[in-house]
Amino acid sequence: MHWLNWVVVVAYLGYVGVDGLRRTRGTRDLEGYLLAGRSLPWWAVGLSVMATQLSAVTMIGTTGQGAVDGLRFVQFYFGLPLAMVILGVTLVPFLHGARVYTAYEYLERRFDARTRTLTALLFLLSRGMSCGTIIAAPAVVFAAVFGWPLPWCVALIGVPTVLYTIVGGVQAVTWADVKQMVLIVVAVTGVVAVLLWRIPASPAEALHVAGAAGRLRAFDFTPSLTNTYTFWSGLIGGAFLMLSYFGTDQSQVQRYLAARSVGEARTSLLVSAYWKIPLQAAILMIGVLVFVFYQFREPPLYFNPADDARVRAAAPAEYSALGTRYDAAWRARRDAAVALARVPEAPDAVAAFRTRDSAVTAVRTDALAAAGRAAGSDKPAKDVNYIIPHVVTRELPIGLAGLFIAGVMAAAMAAVAAELNSLAAASVIDLYRRWVRPEAPDAHYLGASRVATAAWGVFACVVATYAATLGSLIEVVNRFGSFFYGSILGVFFLAMLPRARAAGAFAGLLAGMAAVAAVNFGAPGVSFLWHNVVGTVTVLAVGSLVSLAGGRGGDVGADRPTAGQAAG
Amino acid sequence: MPDAPPAPPPFRRTLTRVLLVQLAALAALAWLQRAFTP
Repeated sequence: MHWLNWVVVVAYLGYVGVDGLRRTRGTRDLEGYLLAGRSLPWWAVGLSVMATQLSAVTMIGTTGQGAVDGLRFVQFYFGLPLAMVILGVTLVPFLHGARVYTAYEYLERRFDARTRTLTALLFLLSRGMSCGTIIAAPAVVFAAVFGWPLPWCVALIGVPTVLYTIVGGVQAVTWADVKQMVLIVVAVTGVVAVLLWRIPASPAEALHVAGAAGRLRAFDFTPSLTNTYTFWSGLIGGAFLMLSYFGTDQSQVQRYLAARSVGEARTSLLVSAYWKIPLQAAILMIGVLVFVFYQFREPPLYFNPADDARVRAAAPAEYSALGTRYDAAWRARRDAAVALARVPEAPDAVAAFRTRDSAVTAVRTDALAAAGRAAGSDKPAKDVNYIIPHVVTRELPIGLAGLFIAGVMAAAMAAVAAELNSLAAASVIDLYRRWVRPEAPDAHYLGASRVATAAWGVFACVVATYAATLGSLIEVVNRFGSFFYGSILGVFFLAMLPRARAAGAFAGLLAGMAAVAAVNFGAPGVSFLWHNVVGTVTVLAVGSLVSLAGGRGGDVGADRPTAGQAAG
Repeated sequence: MPDAPPAPPPFRRTLTRVLLVQLAALAALAWLQRAFTP
């Protein structure tokens, strides 16, 4: 890659680092460090919320998914605007009005210490691991594409992020997120424009080719529980997932707890409601345009250079044969694509193109199976995450390639910084201050928060470095995470019911997790998007029943915010 | 005293705009699918 691209990347990293260090003002007490003294404007919080959710996986994985699978994935976000509106009138006023540091702290006020501690521990376990995987995803791709050692790639993303998060706290995290979001939007828009310009067909012709290959199918109304991305799973299951994520996950809740007022907090969530679907569609559109681009220009057999080298070394004859087949299949498809672009309405042209496209896909399937065998696995290799890096490093003009790589790093850093900041908050507020040192001065907790940020940062970098070998463990933790996400949401909704009691909340939480586990193991085909619905509904049902059975005793005096508090 | 930062727009007005933008986005996606998928 041209050195000027690296200048862009280094300049961006330097800018974020220096600006993070400048943002240490106002971080001299715990509230300043973790919540920016509850002083941030809605638009900065809104961009930070979006930047936290958009990780490097979105930039390289989702774009690749667009290339091989089209716009279908956008349905995953159909429930998001609905979730944001519901949160704006339910959980956000309660959490902001309760003046808490963490979402889980509120659960002790409303219910009891065990519900708070269990939810905080579940958050720490799953988010601590996921923080490592967020760094690992781009680091593994960078290592393969640029040939650098993996630990260096992890350090390149992890070290600056950990440093500015330790020093600047939530102030640095939020203002870096704002810059990162701007950079990401500029990079995505630039890449879409360049691809449209480089495709040797008009935009309408390009769209006809994409449409013939099924890449523009954004809606699937099939009423199926096993099909992950349908209109219904996205709208209903997606809404519950987003309610859980934005309403109860500390990495998001902490963003809007730092807003100046309840009004600013809920408006900040509506920024995502506005822009998430258009932005996600634009990101997937990059992949669709890459697919069209490679109709007219021959793509490599393998997008991951490591796969290419492995097959070439392990099975040279097979490699050569695959190359010849691929070349012939691609040429035939190119001719069919050119014919289709000229006469898009002709049924013969569409049928011919589809046949040729299937032939190219078949060669690629064989090639990926060969790459899997060469790596000693009985599963085919996957190179979806390497499609966009290949395009960026080979096809984008100087400067824009650097901007896109800086955008990928920005996305990883924004997500990791917010998670480190929230992991530190939950560790110190919900565990250390609650159970170990309840009565220390503010400065002590501020120091503890910085130490916790550093410790979680080191943990995340270690997980990222060993992510390949920890693969199955991470999968277990992620699966475990999906067991309780919807259940925690159920507990928070239960907290808003006047008759709910602590015993009901705890029993409901356990029942919700058990119900999701039962669905997961009993009907493994059911899409994970429905797990959150099952968890939330079970907690509400069991929690309400146990609360009613327990009568009016126990924790009647617990601190349930009134409407007046919620509005304040 | 520094200038007061911009206040958030009224919630109901923002909500209406959110719904309109979402409908427009969904309509655009539906048009892409119908117009270009044979």
